[in-house]
Amino acid sequence: MAANAIDQTRRMLSLVTYLRERPGAHVADVARAFGITEDELISDLDVLPMCGTSFRGGDLLDIDTDGDRIWWHNPDDVAEPLRLAADEATALLVAARAVATLPGLRESDRDALLRATAKLEAAAGEAAGASARLSVTFESEGGVFAEVDRAISERRRLWVRYYSPARDELTEREVDPIRLFAVGHTYMEAWCRLSEARRTFRLDRVAEIRILDEHAAPPELELRDLSAGLVQPSADDPEVVVEVGPGGRWVAEYYPHDRAEELPDGGLRITLRTPDPASLRRLALRLGSDGRIVAPPELADSARTAAAAALAAYEGV
Amino acid sequence: MAIAKSERLMNLALCLLGTRRPLSKRELRGSIEAYLEASGDDAFNRMFERDKDDLRELGLVIETVENLEGETGYLARRDSNRLPPITLDAEEAAALGLAAKVWQQARLAGAASGALQKLRAAGMPEAGDSYDIQPSALEPRIPVHEAAFEPLMLACRDRRPVVFDYRKGNAARPETRQVEPWTLECWRGHWYLAGWDRDRGAERVFRLSRITGKVRSRAGAFTAPVPDVVTVRETVESWAGETATRSARIRLRAGCGYPLRARAQAVTEGGDGWDELEIPYGHGLDAWLVEFGPDVVVLEPADLRADVVERLRAVAKG
Repeated sequence: MAANAIDQTRRMLSLVTYLRERPGAHVADVARAFGITEDELISDLDVLPMCGTSFRGGDLLDIDTDGDRIWWHNPDDVAEPLRLAADEATALLVAARAVATLPGLRESDRDALLRATAKLEAAAGEAAGASARLSVTFESEGGVFAEVDRAISERRRLWVRYYSPARDELTEREVDPIRLFAVGHTYMEAWCRLSEARRTFRLDRVAEIRILDEHAAPPELELRDLSAGLVQPSADDPEVVVEVGPGGRWVAEYYPHDRAEELPDGGLRITLRTPDPASLRRLALRLGSDGRIVAPPELADSARTAAAAALAAYEGV
Repeated sequence: MAIAKSERLMNLALCLLGTRRPLSKRELRGSIEAYLEASGDDAFNRMFERDKDDLRELGLVIETVENLEGETGYLARRDSNRLPPITLDAEEAAALGLAAKVWQQARLAGAASGALQKLRAAGMPEAGDSYDIQPSALEPRIPVHEAAFEPLMLACRDRRPVVFDYRKGNAARPETRQVEPWTLECWRGHWYLAGWDRDRGAERVFRLSRITGKVRSRAGAFTAPVPDVVTVRETVESWAGETATRSARIRLRAGCGYPLRARAQAVTEGGDGWDELEIPYGHGLDAWLVEFGPDVVVLEPADLRADVVERLRAVAKG
């Protein structure tokens, strides 16, 4: 609960300044401005009148509410805007600089962000210094990004030629874009009219893109919560077991998995689930002597067969 | 019922901000209810020290001054705590609003919204103030899954040396590393730490996901200068084989291997269902080519060809 107390204190310190400037403010408006729920705001308003404004005691903050509007009756010198903490300046500056580097960002948004960043650096003063200790680069493909962004804002359908690494093939499909997001790489979430399902497309795998005249008509969907990770295998997906030596430990970093058990030789036994085990043939081939597929046997067979077929091409030459 | 911590912190903050002369611990204890209720001097002292640290984390500049009787007093001067004037227009406010949402890490997400709240309190326009701004459809997110992130972020900020166990990419066992941490960088969705490796006496880049166990920080700050330019990305690119200096010739089955074609320097159609490509040859290319199985044949150089054949043999043997 400690983290909540910190965040609440931080918020209440700003709240007193904010309310001073807006006598009779509406609870709903204030909650929206602070990015909190009305209940959270009400609980702040319960605490504030318990807070004294001087060490002598007695001078408690005078803030009251009827649940709809909020009134403030205090001397004006009680609540001045406070400088930014090092972490606050860092969090906002690093994020702003990162977003400003997205190649596909609209120029007007980028300009606004750069102006805001400069003003923020000036206002943060010394606190801005720590922000040099963190940096974030997004990967994004400028041209494709701009087309997707335009299609979303104009609600238009897209035609894409998309590369699927699992099958090593390009497919053409029409999609109704829903949103763009960046988590390391940049992705488009869209309703795929070919598979009639929600699909996520990594923009650097879009080989070609065109905005169509048709309007996009994606079904009403609840947006996925991305914080749990992009790949969220279902419990019904078949299990794949891979054993790797020390040189193959990277598999556990790149593939979301259920279990990774240490092996005596410094390797790992990794259990993961995927709707399409055949798509892991690439992994089996890549691992070489650094690992092998334990299950399912068909997957191990298909990797062996592919390797043997590939070797045949070298024998004759 | 115990008094909530937020109420106690808020009282301390307002007292320190409101006073014109330093207040002693005794005076503060006497005027803040939660401190009056503290059971004993030790409990109060611990609580008071922690509260001061918490308020400093929130950005409050609290000065420690000794008064004439030799008693320590505390105050948060208005001048050093006031936000300098800052005027943001609605577009700039919307842009910062988008940026503040990118963090998926609790501490930074909290700090970013705290910063926005301070700016709002200082008069930054709200999204609802202007209806003609349509923000970009983009939702950038910065992932932070690594437990080592927060302690390393704080250590970089405070310039504290750290010790952690680190398992190199292909090592069986982790090794203990002692590092003066410089910067953290997120690239392609992964976090890296750049710093000075004390045992090796050299600059090193660490991938956070390979840190095993806890990051412990050493007492005291390091004083050696942090270089202005830290080359995390170049180091990681060379791990990933993207700093290729040579090129390779391969045969690729028609219609296959789009990513190989996308980075090819030259493509010649063979007409026999195969194309010939010239591609950059850097670290890791052999493993990548093997992924394409029987759809790729390496022509030259001979060492790459031998590496690919060896990998294929290992898989074929099972």
